[in-house]
Amino acid sequence: MPARRTFLSVPAACSVPASGNAAAVIHPLNQQFFRRVPVSCLCKLAVVVSLAMWTCAIPQAWAGFQPVSPEELKITSEPLAPGAAAIILYRQVDRDDNGKTSHEDTYVRIKILTEEGRKYADVEIPFLKRSEDVVNIGARTIKPDGSIVNFDGKVFEKTIVKAKGVKYLAKTFTLPDVQVGGIIEYYYTDDFREFALFDSHWILSDELFTKRAQFSLKPYKSSFENPFRLRWTWQSLPPGAEPKEGPDHVVRMEARNIPAFQTEDFMPPANELKSRVDFIYEEDFTGLEPDQFWKRIGKKRNGALEDFVGKRKAMEEAVAQIVSPNDPPEVKLRKIYDRVQKIRNTTYELRKTEQEEKRAKEKTASNVEEIWKRGYGDGMQLTWLYLALARAAGFEAYGCWVSDRRNYFFFPQTMQSEKLNANVVLVRLNGKDLYFDPGAAFTPYGLLTWSETGTKGLRLDKDGGTWIQTTLPASSDSAIARNAKLKLSDTGDLEGKLTITYTGLEAMYRRLENRNADETERKKFLEEQIKEMVPVASEVDLTNKPDWSSTEPPLVAEFDIKIPGWASNAGKRAMVPVGIFTAAEKRVFEHADRVHPVYFEYPYSKTDDVTIELPPGWHVSSVPNPQNQDGHVVVYKFKVEDLNGTLHVTRTLSFDVLILEQKYYTALRKFFQVVRTGDDEQIVLQPGTASALN
Amino acid sequence: MTSRLCCSPERRAPSTRQLLSLLGVAVFLLACVSPAAAGGDAPQWMRALVGVPLPPYDEKTDAVLLYSDTNVTVLSADKIRTHVREAYKILRPNGRHRGTAVVYINPQRKITSFHGWCIPTQGKDFEVKDKDAVEAAPNVQNGELVSDVKYKILRIPAPDPGNIVGYEYEVEEQPFFLQDSWEFQEADPVHESHYTLQLPPGWEYKASWLNYPEAKSRLSSNNQWEWTVGDVKGIRTEEEMPPIAGVAGRMLVSFFATGGSIKNGFADWRSMGSWYSKLVSGRTEASPPIKQEVGILAGSKTTALLKMQAIAAFVQHDIRYVAIELGIGGWQPHPAPEVYEHRYGDCKDKATLVRSMLSEIGIDSYHVVIYTERGAITPATPAHHGFNHAITAIKLPDGLSDPSLVATFQHPKWGKILFFDPTDELTPFGQIRGQLQANYGLLVTPDGGELVQLPQQPSAMNSVQRIARLTLEPGGRLKGDVDEVRLGDRAATERWRLRLVTKDADRIKPIESLLGSSLSSFRITHATVTNLQHTDQPFGFAYSFEADSYAKSAGNLLLVRPRVLGSKSSGILETKEPRKFPIEFDGPARDTDSFEIAIPPGYEVDDLPPPVDSDYSFASYHSKTEAKGNAIRYTRTFEVKELSVPVERAEELKKFYRIIASDERNTAVLKPVVAK
Repeated sequence: MPARRTFLSVPAACSVPASGNAAAVIHPLNQQFFRRVPVSCLCKLAVVVSLAMWTCAIPQAWAGFQPVSPEELKITSEPLAPGAAAIILYRQVDRDDNGKTSHEDTYVRIKILTEEGRKYADVEIPFLKRSEDVVNIGARTIKPDGSIVNFDGKVFEKTIVKAKGVKYLAKTFTLPDVQVGGIIEYYYTDDFREFALFDSHWILSDELFTKRAQFSLKPYKSSFENPFRLRWTWQSLPPGAEPKEGPDHVVRMEARNIPAFQTEDFMPPANELKSRVDFIYEEDFTGLEPDQFWKRIGKKRNGALEDFVGKRKAMEEAVAQIVSPNDPPEVKLRKIYDRVQKIRNTTYELRKTEQEEKRAKEKTASNVEEIWKRGYGDGMQLTWLYLALARAAGFEAYGCWVSDRRNYFFFPQTMQSEKLNANVVLVRLNGKDLYFDPGAAFTPYGLLTWSETGTKGLRLDKDGGTWIQTTLPASSDSAIARNAKLKLSDTGDLEGKLTITYTGLEAMYRRLENRNADETERKKFLEEQIKEMVPVASEVDLTNKPDWSSTEPPLVAEFDIKIPGWASNAGKRAMVPVGIFTAAEKRVFEHADRVHPVYFEYPYSKTDDVTIELPPGWHVSSVPNPQNQDGHVVVYKFKVEDLNGTLHVTRTLSFDVLILEQKYYTALRKFFQVVRTGDDEQIVLQPGTASALN
Repeated sequence: MTSRLCCSPERRAPSTRQLLSLLGVAVFLLACVSPAAAGGDAPQWMRALVGVPLPPYDEKTDAVLLYSDTNVTVLSADKIRTHVREAYKILRPNGRHRGTAVVYINPQRKITSFHGWCIPTQGKDFEVKDKDAVEAAPNVQNGELVSDVKYKILRIPAPDPGNIVGYEYEVEEQPFFLQDSWEFQEADPVHESHYTLQLPPGWEYKASWLNYPEAKSRLSSNNQWEWTVGDVKGIRTEEEMPPIAGVAGRMLVSFFATGGSIKNGFADWRSMGSWYSKLVSGRTEASPPIKQEVGILAGSKTTALLKMQAIAAFVQHDIRYVAIELGIGGWQPHPAPEVYEHRYGDCKDKATLVRSMLSEIGIDSYHVVIYTERGAITPATPAHHGFNHAITAIKLPDGLSDPSLVATFQHPKWGKILFFDPTDELTPFGQIRGQLQANYGLLVTPDGGELVQLPQQPSAMNSVQRIARLTLEPGGRLKGDVDEVRLGDRAATERWRLRLVTKDADRIKPIESLLGSSLSSFRITHATVTNLQHTDQPFGFAYSFEADSYAKSAGNLLLVRPRVLGSKSSGILETKEPRKFPIEFDGPARDTDSFEIAIPPGYEVDDLPPPVDSDYSFASYHSKTEAKGNAIRYTRTFEVKELSVPVERAEELKKFYRIIASDERNTAVLKPVVAK
């Protein structure tokens, strides 16, 4: 069961300052998150404060603007960021986590290089009122001739969202007289709430190229009563940049020439690509090596898990209702899996209002027995129920926490336990490790939801656990099979029946997406998908009632389809292209330049089996040669046969790849060009009359 | 009223999706805070709706507005109280969004009560109150720095199919003008809707109906009138349809105080023009720095046209678009000296500054308020505040005539007028973009104002002229050079696209996208852009490319698609449901392609696709493929002549697009030359 179950615990609307803020325009809900110290910790911290009698009261205002450099004024472009609309000349972020007057000073200097770059003069600094305030704002414009226009306009406090004492606000202002060639700069202080500690993140990668950046963090001073210790990890830092702790225990870093962050299709999670340093305050587990750290985490989680699943007798009784003693092991596992998936899964229901929840009087289960008796649970609980039932059925089964690879990749050495955020069950059967997550709705037996596949995780046991890697399904496990029986009219229209069979994760995501939709919406959804597959306008009508509620059977949809004018005119001949349902491949990877690796969610395949009955009197003049491009992890092939007045076209496209380094992009692009070229190959027809399509 | 003058052409108003996204954040935040109050019974007016007989609705109807009652009480010229009750029956899961009630507020419009209820098909009613509401600001962006408009959002429990959700609120407003709009037609069908107007003694009203047959009012008590409509059809959006304001039924009602008032109910466009003229009054006066700037810009210019062009370019490019709209600031521009000093402003600020500067060279000009999409305001529209943009009308000096000044019209009193949009940085002085053409705007003049139609420019002024000289190799590779010249909006679109490019390496991407839409495989070997910044000059792309396997082999034949690049067809009318609304083009256009493909040595033309000549009053398409020596020459012309296609001619347009689609896929056949 993946991270989505923890959605409510992620304070998406509660972002607070982190060093990642320092773009000219700051978007509230990206990049940042913070860890709110539990209340118990706050209390402890409050005690410390009273004993320590700190004297410092308010954060210091920024010392002021830095001198204007004539060289900076002369800049008209940046060789390392050719074409940039603006660049950050200098950015400084200084954080002081003293616990009482914790604050973070941010200073940004931006060179405007084009008219478009002037938009960075509009500044918005979001903040959560109860946790922080933004104070000491100063700003100015340096015109291209070096003259200075100080910002003396109004700083607006904008309400983004306000509800029942929670206020998500933004300080916003715009700088005057901003011209191409000029420089804008501003500073502000995030003044954090007293007696709270927040994790901190230096996100170096910005929308703009950064010429130079300096960061510092003065950590909270740990004490016996408040044993919070800071540790930090980093990734993708520019050469020469590395956070270092000084003799004064302040962590500092300077970085230069940080490229602007670019977004591309099919790229890995942005969090993994950005240059960043993450600071984490820890109360427990301080000063441990990764092995020790994970051992403790594993033991702790295993303890919690065993408490939850340890209802052997109740589970044995339950299993007895599900399986027969004579069932082969695989059948037992399947029966248990099917039964668990039939239990009401609250994770996938529409979010209720508090009144509805109160009225429903549904309690959170504290163990698997309660789930079984009540007949509902959330996705995570149902997966653990499966574990308990599998064990009760006599299987060697383990609970595993794996890393959902939707937003992050996982590296144990960074010791970020929150990234082990999805639970699955490992069952050892006939010497093979099988992974299950019945709490992820519509996941067929033997598969995991895509973000849990091919990822690292911790198999829990009393000794702390063992690292595992979940299986990555083959492309054939998640397939789209299209079977069409069509007729070509003598006016060139193509019309007939189409049956599409979605299996594996292809069926799962469609069922999941439409789980709360009605028949009309589902019909529209499927028909739109077909229309998007055909490269020209088409008329599509769903004719059957697909099975939306099951998990195991493929999702089968049948359509009447008409593609007006599909055959093209070539004077006395007519042409029909090989590929009909190939529009999805038409525009992918059309750009030659690529910055990031290419990332697919899961391996998949598409197969087509199409027959086209020709109009009476027509015959086939020529068909393209068959193609077979087998690049091991990527395969494309098609074949066209003339069956006495009926064309038979088969096509296969499969992808058994998850991530490709940027250096392979050219080869991948070339592959797709070959696919498109193949799909565009023409079948030459000879109409019965001279020019039948007119 | 939410209408304001703040629109920048490339900057769109927040979409419904953005609003829903905002609501999502708000609702999430609401879920994080303290528990909601316990439910209470729905009021009697909602209870009465249970079991009300309804006509059959089709399976795509999300919900039906069972009952709507808007009660407007004009307390004085400075205070209007509006009480609203609405209840929906949810018919489909898609109708659940009706359980989120949204009321806009601002410092002049305060909400005094807000309640919501749900009557489920089973079980007790739910109730939510003011304190359960979330307050959220619209997701302003792209230069919209700050606005005082906010939303109060109430999430009503259980908005599930079969259930009835309803809400009731009251707002008190200090109006800028004495006018209201009863917008009774919406996306969902309406079973019954009422509007009641209570005026102070002696006051009068004027009601006008738009896009719907008039319902007669009923005097229900002393100076109180009522209107009722029922069984109003829902509006399902269609691609390229007119703006909602141009098709949805509504009633505009203006109020007039006894003996007149300083506030205006806009009896006619002239009175609205007077109101706006007063708002602008004095704000165009030039400060010494403005005078100095005009001296610098225009001093060395020898003609009035050159001076105007210099001023126009300054305001278009050197004044940054920033909108700060608080209170009347949504309508009233900042004084020109302030705009000049800050070097930023919104559309009305820019219009004000350009007027101020033009005045310094002795040229009169006026504000024009307008809606950014054609069709929202028509000659049949009564005077009201349904605008969202401001531009400038420049009174051209007598005798001034220049081919670059196209967006002009002859006003019987003010003479030759040139329309100019200083917010639109990509349309050159002398022209206006497509959506403003043939659109109606309020020309604000010293003696009031009048609704005028802006001119429609010749279609050739918005065009792509593409010429390709290409060579086909025996193996099927096509290579050669392409020159594209773009004018009007066709140029502005590419300039805008390139403006957003943040690194030089990405400048090739628009060309890659163009080629990618037509070629399965290609490699660009050279590309240049001309006149990217010079908006008064034609924009140009020049590029060379190679496309492997462009021609397909079929036995000993080579199959070549003569239409190498670009697409003019459209699938917007390929829908199951018949079209309900007219189709609106962005603007007039005329595109031409000329592709010459040298055929490989040893081959000759065997067969060519037939020519296409499709001519309708709204658009035309002509294409021809010819064999010329050792080359195939494909030429075509696509022209949009009328800006709107009425719904009864939608089938003709559909056929027109199919003809184009067919032509674009046609193939020429080459065969080996047979030795004689």
